[in-house]
Parts: sequence; C-alpha cells; structure tokens
Amino acid sequence: MKTIYQLLLLTFAVFLPSASAYGQIQKAEIVATGLTCSMCSNAINKQLKSIDGVEKVETDLNTSTFTVILTPYNTITPATLKNSVEKAGFFVGSMVITLSLDQVVPKDNAAVEAQGATLVFVDSKEKVLNGQTRLKIQDKGYVTQKEYKKLQKSYSKYPTYSVENEGDFHVKVI
Amino acid sequence: MRLNLVLIMLMSMLCIPAAAQLRTGASLPKLTLTSSEGQPIDLASFKGKVTLVDFWASWCGPCRVANKKLVKLYSKYKKQGFEIVGVSLDKDKAKWRDAIKKDKIAYVQVNDPAGFDAKSAVTFGVENMPASYLFDASGKLIAINPSEQQIINEINKAK
Repeated sequence: MKTIYQLLLLTFAVFLPSASAYGQIQKAEIVATGLTCSMCSNAINKQLKSIDGVEKVETDLNTSTFTVILTPYNTITPATLKNSVEKAGFFVGSMVITLSLDQVVPKDNAAVEAQGATLVFVDSKEKVLNGQTRLKIQDKGYVTQKEYKKLQKSYSKYPTYSVENEGDFHVKVI
Repeated sequence: MRLNLVLIMLMSMLCIPAAAQLRTGASLPKLTLTSSEGQPIDLASFKGKVTLVDFWASWCGPCRVANKKLVKLYSKYKKQGFEIVGVSLDKDKAKWRDAIKKDKIAYVQVNDPAGFDAKSAVTFGVENMPASYLFDASGKLIAINPSEQQIINEINKAK
C-alpha cells in the first residue's frame, strides 16, 4: 500500500505543472555572495536595473540585500535574476520572492505557477496563503553551497528537488 | 533612405552613455563638495601638489582596511606636500563622521551622499570601491588604483 502511495506521489510530482494556482512575482530580495564585497561594486545594481521588467533596485547596506521591485505583468523568473547576478561576477546567497496569492494551501509538493516558472512548496505548514506572500527559494544556485549540501539530504523526500529542473523552484513560506 | 540610416546610427551613438571614466592625463576635475568640517572644497584647488583622491564609504569593508594604510602614508608624507582627499559616498553623514573618527583620518574628507550615483563617482567612473586616483603636482591623473610604491615615487619626483 505504501509503495503504491509513493508511486502515486512520484507520478504526481513528475507531472508537476498541474499547478492550479497562479501568482505574479512583485519583488525579490537578493543577497549576493562572492570573493569581494557585493555592496562595494556597482555591477550587480547595474545588471539588475538593465532587466526588462525591473522598476527599481534598492540596496540595504546593513543586510547586504538588493531589493528588486518589479513592474506589474513582468515576465521575470528567479532564473533571470540569478543570471544577472552571475553576469556581474557574483553568486546568489539567498533569494526571497514576494508574490500575491489567492487562497493557496501550500501542501508539500503542491505547486503554483508564476510567470511560467513552477514553484513547488517544501517544508510547508499548510496554512492558507492569501495576499502578499514571501517565499524563499531553496534550489541549487539560490542558496549557499553549504546550505545546498544540507538541503540535498533533508529534501530527499521531495522527488523533484534532486532533478534540478531549471524551470522548477522549491520554495519555503517565510 | 541612406540619410535615415545615417541619422539612426548617429542617434544610437548619442544614446550610448559615454563611459565617463577619467583617463590618465585628465586634469583634476572642478568639483566642489562639503568637507567634514562643513567647508566647501574644490578638488581642482589641489593642483600644485601630488594628490590622491580616494573613494570610499563607511559600510565598505575593504575601504576601511585601505583607510588604515592611507592614514599611515599621509602622516609620513604630508610634510613633503602630499595630499589625500577622501571622497565618501555615504548617504548617512553620521556614519561617515563616525568612520572618520574611528579610522583616525587626518586628511581632507568630503562627502558626496549618493552612493554610486553621486556626481563625483560618475565623473571619475567609480564602479568598485575602494577606488583611488593619483594626480601629479601639475594636476594630471597619472594612475588609477596606484600601488603604495607608485605614490611614494611620485612624491619623491615632485621634491
């Protein structure tokens, strides 16, 4: 019985883009890492500002965070932002996206569609999400290497996590 | 038709923001900023002395490390007419003043409180910090991010 259940779960997970809910990313908070001080370079700021759909970029010097405000109906995915940080010569240490959701229950492995990207819930508390929601991306390249190594073990229960599909993002409600 | 094409090309050339980076050989720009003592200071007024213009900010860790070296260099060579002008891009003036005190900076300090968007940063073409610009006694830019030895050589040359 248990194996059947697991098999069902896996099938469900493989055909993930059966997301029933949709959301629009409005904001992203990015912490960049690298060999040099990310705030001491204008490069990340410039790269982010040059993306179509970015309204403005704010920097918080105390937390070394770049807050990217996006325009309504933008088509930016977390991957667009990550690529831009990497183009500037840095890495993403953490990325938290804000999107507006309407009555979404974040069950483990359940997904939300956002600008063509699939957001899969992990570590969920199953509390109904309504309105502005902050989600932390847990995938490789969106957390530090050290964090990723830890997550790889603890997220073995999520079949899509290890697949590292570029369009799928595993998110934790924060 | 051909004229249109030429016009379009000309227009697009104008639209490309010219990299406003100071090149070696450029003169000390005329730029007035307020010092930590509240005095207006014109960068061009340092012409006549070997001068290092140093861009930094209190929140920039590598800059604070560099400050320590600059403080030593200045105290050693100020009698020979060497000048350093620290240009802070801090938006928070209180943090700037605290950093001056903490790093025991005795050379001229001015503030251009707009981060990388500051007029001085754009004029010099500052994209990373710290960034320093060495001007010879005639007010010409001779090196960007010079080594300590390069600075000392220039001071000795001016004697």
